[in-house]
Amino acid sequence: MDLELTSDQRAIHDAIVQMVSNHMDVPRSGATLKPVEYCYADQLDRDLAEGEFFSLALTEGCGALEAALLVYETGRSPLVLETAGAAFIGPLLTGRDLPRPVAVARLEDLTRAVRFLDRARTLIVDLGDDVAVLSTDGLAVEPIHSMFAYPLGRLMTLPDFTAAERLGAAAVPRLRRLWRVGLALETAAALQAAVDFTTAYVKDRLVFGRPVGSYQAVQHRLSADIQRVRAVYWLALKAAWSGGDQDAALAALYAQQAITPINYDTHQFNGALGMTLEHTLHFWTFRLRLLQGEMGGARTQAAATVAATWAGA
Amino acid sequence: MDFAWTESEQAYRAELVSLLEQQLPPDWWDAYAYDGPAGPELMVHARRFNAELAQRNLVVRHWPRAYGGQEASAWSQIILSEEMWSNGEPRSSLYLGANWAGPAIMKFGTEAQKQRYLRPIADGKLLWCQGFSEPEAGTDLANMKTRAEPDADGYVINGSKVWTSYASRADIMFLLARVGGSGKGGVSCFILPVNSPGMEVRPIPAIHSPHDFNEVFFTDVRVPADALLGEPGKGWDIVTTILHYERIGAARYEFSRRTLDRVVAHLKQRGLFDDPTVQAELATALAATEAARLLTYVVIDGRAKERPPGPDTYVARYAMVQADHAVANIASTYLSDLLTEQGDGMLRSHFTSAITAGIAAGAAEVQLNMISGRYLGLPRGA
Repeated sequence: MDLELTSDQRAIHDAIVQMVSNHMDVPRSGATLKPVEYCYADQLDRDLAEGEFFSLALTEGCGALEAALLVYETGRSPLVLETAGAAFIGPLLTGRDLPRPVAVARLEDLTRAVRFLDRARTLIVDLGDDVAVLSTDGLAVEPIHSMFAYPLGRLMTLPDFTAAERLGAAAVPRLRRLWRVGLALETAAALQAAVDFTTAYVKDRLVFGRPVGSYQAVQHRLSADIQRVRAVYWLALKAAWSGGDQDAALAALYAQQAITPINYDTHQFNGALGMTLEHTLHFWTFRLRLLQGEMGGARTQAAATVAATWAGA
Repeated sequence: MDFAWTESEQAYRAELVSLLEQQLPPDWWDAYAYDGPAGPELMVHARRFNAELAQRNLVVRHWPRAYGGQEASAWSQIILSEEMWSNGEPRSSLYLGANWAGPAIMKFGTEAQKQRYLRPIADGKLLWCQGFSEPEAGTDLANMKTRAEPDADGYVINGSKVWTSYASRADIMFLLARVGGSGKGGVSCFILPVNSPGMEVRPIPAIHSPHDFNEVFFTDVRVPADALLGEPGKGWDIVTTILHYERIGAARYEFSRRTLDRVVAHLKQRGLFDDPTVQAELATALAATEAARLLTYVVIDGRAKERPPGPDTYVARYAMVQADHAVANIASTYLSDLLTEQGDGMLRSHFTSAITAGIAAGAAEVQLNMISGRYLGLPRGA
């Protein structure tokens, strides 16, 4: 076992981190943020594409773990970028790069609200007994405005799936496995960013003449939170590495369950300022609120975990 | 990055599994291990078991050859701990010697002390106990009051220790006593036989076990000068080193993981397994065990690369406590009758171990304090 990145992985990781760090600025009005729902990282998208980072999963010598690093590191930015579908789920599911952004959804969610669907060029749908991959050209997509810091959209009418590329029943568990890992990676990134942001804030913000972060009531909760965050990170990376059903379900379950306490704590510790759009926190925490229910939420991941672990026992 | 075990690590685990199958009697859980690694039957059995381990060079494979090891990586220690702790720790308190007392002696001891203690640990001959906590110094260890006064021949120790696991049947104690100063500055480490004249061990019956806790009284206990490990009054560095090893030395997550399988088997027998609420609790507990496992592996990975111990240890320990409780809570919610003396020895052993997990090796809240200061860098309180 070796939990360090290899030198090649380190080089890829560092290059991604460098690119992401060049694109952390959110639009401002003077000293404060512009009150926007979300900021899409269009320039980062172009830079990563130019470096062929979206193809890491299918690049010789690379694979799921390298693609996972991309999903995780881009997810730490307050700017939002679709990488889980385009760089991880799509290529590993289909064996090819798909036009991006890539939206991934369950059939029953298509007419409700789907992350990235209003921008997506490819849509992957879990039909229950099959997987459909289709271009969004010609689909009737309605953008949805929300507080959830993601571009969202929904289909006005369901497409004719018989005309779409179908991957077959065997692709269903594969899609769900990859989707769970992608979900865990995106969650790990947003959780880490929210806790990092809050940790920095409570070191500086004074209350009753002392930093907020000097109170044990705050310290213990943030400490428990960072334990959860690190666990999500490692569970997600292991799941990306192994490609196993159990690892994927565990990672997604732990990730979605970590969201409630961490969202609560980070907002409590940022106080009223954390509720304003001039503060960056919501770019992560409100993404997390949407991730919390993806794929049916923790209830579904728990069932998948049990099935992968004890079905035959 | 690679999460796989090497072939030699897998072979090592297989060797351990095979040995356990050979050496543990069929009624192991119900007649020996039900009461934890300090249980009287288990501690007697441990003498024979440890000799078998030593004969196969399995006690301290991760140690240097000079001290009886085979210079295997730190991963071999965690594999050993996983297999032993999840089987009720049949080594009993030999593991204290192999996990941290031995490494502390290697790092801080004189050559004579190394010769005296390390080979007997490798040979599986010493059952250890740790004389750390006192009535006024449990979590606040630096507040300990037991004193070691220098005299012409060495030191004279007076004071008392409490909640001392294994003391009634151990051979040797790793003792913290104060030489001079107050607070961390006066703490000193001693190694002495448990049957030293002037030492009295009194069992303390506890809710989790009648045999685990002891009080140990020291009345003019005379020890030679070379019972001192390191320099007088400078034992706090040794303590902090020890605690890094101790906090994750027992692979609690593996015991929780295997106990969960046993819980599932019982739930299936009782027709409770298919309940979605029960399944959600099982999955949550399993996620907690696997989280604790990976966070522990992060620490071991650093140790394997000879990095100095860091705050990841506290993170891993806190995760272990959460995992232990998650599994124990399911057992007590749905299978409480099996936690009785007529129940399932494995579940009982796990439960009694789990309910002490947040207190042993430094309270869980101390782990959070350490994470706060050393991991997050939060400012100290007033």
